[in-house]
Amino acid sequence: MSGRILVVDDEVEIRRALRTGLTHHRFDVEAVATGEEALSSAAAWKPDVVLLDLGLPGIDGFTVLTRLREKSRAAVIVLSVMADERDKVRALDLGADDYLVKPFGLEELLARIRAVVRRQAAVAGGAAVVRAGDLEIDLERRQVMVAGREVHLTPTEYELLRYLALHAGKLVTHTILLREVWGAYAVGEAQNTRYVVAQLRRKLGDDPARPKYIATEPGVGYRLRVDSNEIQTPT
Amino acid sequence: MRAARTVLPYFYAIGGVTLITAGIGLVQSRTAVPNLSMVYLLLVLWLGARHGRLPAAVAGVGAFVAYDYFFVPPVGTFVVNAPHELLGLILLLATALVTGQLASSLRRESEHAAVLAGEATELYELATTALRQPEAGAAIALVSRRARALPGVARFSLIAVEDGKAIVAGGEELGPELLRRAEWSFEHQTPVGAKLGLGGLDLVRVAGPNPEPLIIPLAGGVAVMVLDSATADDHQRRLLAALLSLGSLLLDRRAAAYQAQRASTLEASDSLKAAVLSSLSHELKSPIAALRAGLTSLLGPGAGLDREHQELASGLDREAARLDRLVGELLTMSRLEAGQALELGPRSFPELGGAAIERLQPRLDRRQLTVSLPADLPQVLIDELQIDRVLTNLLENALDFTPDGGRIELGARAEGDRLLAWVDNEGPMIPAADLGSIFDKFWSGRSGGTGLGLAICKRIIEGHGGTIEVRNRRSGPRFQFTLPLAPVGATT
Repeated sequence: MSGRILVVDDEVEIRRALRTGLTHHRFDVEAVATGEEALSSAAAWKPDVVLLDLGLPGIDGFTVLTRLREKSRAAVIVLSVMADERDKVRALDLGADDYLVKPFGLEELLARIRAVVRRQAAVAGGAAVVRAGDLEIDLERRQVMVAGREVHLTPTEYELLRYLALHAGKLVTHTILLREVWGAYAVGEAQNTRYVVAQLRRKLGDDPARPKYIATEPGVGYRLRVDSNEIQTPT
Repeated sequence: MRAARTVLPYFYAIGGVTLITAGIGLVQSRTAVPNLSMVYLLLVLWLGARHGRLPAAVAGVGAFVAYDYFFVPPVGTFVVNAPHELLGLILLLATALVTGQLASSLRRESEHAAVLAGEATELYELATTALRQPEAGAAIALVSRRARALPGVARFSLIAVEDGKAIVAGGEELGPELLRRAEWSFEHQTPVGAKLGLGGLDLVRVAGPNPEPLIIPLAGGVAVMVLDSATADDHQRRLLAALLSLGSLLLDRRAAAYQAQRASTLEASDSLKAAVLSSLSHELKSPIAALRAGLTSLLGPGAGLDREHQELASGLDREAARLDRLVGELLTMSRLEAGQALELGPRSFPELGGAAIERLQPRLDRRQLTVSLPADLPQVLIDELQIDRVLTNLLENALDFTPDGGRIELGARAEGDRLLAWVDNEGPMIPAADLGSIFDKFWSGRSGGTGLGLAICKRIIEGHGGTIEVRNRRSGPRFQFTLPLAPVGATT
């Protein structure tokens, strides 16, 4: 795999380690220490993936993330020593593609990078049918099948599943689901999403204790478990 | 003047009877009109309504005597010959007395109603003014002043009780001895000398020449007063009781304001602690992050390390990861001990179990995992992130003690108003002596353990009002804990 990776971290040892490690895996790597440099580099160099530390001097990571999202199509993986779920939710709500808590091993980071790059390709290709095991979501026909048998969903259930399928493999927060499924004026209540997901799981025959399709990230949101090899692009 | 006012009605009564008697005589001398005696009743009615029962009764008796003497034959004597004349006379007397009685009680009631209306208006005005005060303190002072102004009230103070200490919130200052007595009265909710009844303030103790202070506990404080009971009548006691209710309301408001202020101070100190912990977390974790990123970079194919050095780097990375876990648990414990607030909500326990299992999946793959979490378990009322930590710690603990291929079970069932959950492993039995101390901080049964994982579990579970324990089964240890169920009717 190759591609351009921009590392944004104020710790020189982290920059050095990631530059070395990722270069060995044949990525082009540029490493900067501040948010200002990150924004100018993102504009000029056009990286595929940005690894963004939240605790930056000067303009902070969240601001950098917001500005990046305005003008860059790069996938953003937020790296943070803060394991606080509120930071995680906030970064994801601002458009981060993934969130990795420091410290981490290089293998884990590589797996995350590969996943976001694959997802980007799939979203850009506009997958028409998303599969997770024997769950099949046909986005064109608005049809949901489990093991070849059609499952009837309410419009809300379908919209929620559709949004998860469009971002298959990505962790989607309660806030984003509320906004996307219930609309901008939804009276925000994460209980709504919990309730609809519980209904969806029941209809899809998904055991919440051993979910095959919809995985839960406590305090954050949900992820449609999907093997990216099974995302089909229309031919 | 006063004497004239009390004698005057009787003068009216006698004068009135005389006038009416003369009038009747005048009419009777010209033509016969039956039942002229009824005219007396008008006088009785007027006297009763205007001057009360006694002048009316005097007029009634006067009418009886005058009518008998002047008009009932034989005229000029008090003798009555015909029985029907006697009956008429008695009826006149009875009607006069009853009429007077009725009129005077009507008068009393209307007077009473006027007094009550006056009280109500006054209280309404006072309450409105008091409640409009932006500060409870000013309102309390206002009510105290009004109570002190009542006749018969020699002293009056409203006392607030903050953290068990009595403070004068309005009215006269009190000595330390009286303040202590006020604290006692508030703490035991026991009045001294008087109590608030339905109709007003009931005096328990009869006031002597040197009346003792009365102490009355209210919802948000205490009222202390000295009454001169000789002058405190019903009306004043009623007013006093109403003022006390108002004072109680205001003391309550003052207490609420005090609590809110205290809470915001505590919150400030909590957020300071959180800031220190978060900065500490950053300082401790950043070097470990650099270590792990660097060491794992050395393990890559392009780094060019030989096998021996790769093993060295990977061993060092494992140590760095262990250090990370220790720092993480120390920070978690510090946060819990700093009194991290619970974010409670109704949650699905199987869903949390599923998330913890998924996180540990690579390691669990090498064990036989049994999950018995029925999807229809009732919801629990928990902080999901904290309980997620408990499940992760208990499963990690089970993994550490279970050899490859060994069995681990995660299960739960509802028991009464609790959820009972367990994590079983097939590791070695826990010595009986350790069963009690295994949840203590820094107790560790294995090398490489931090000794904090189980202590964190205990603190979190107890923070949720549950219990956690370990016991040995024939096949291995079982860790079990309880959690409160969410109230029925809460949504998913």
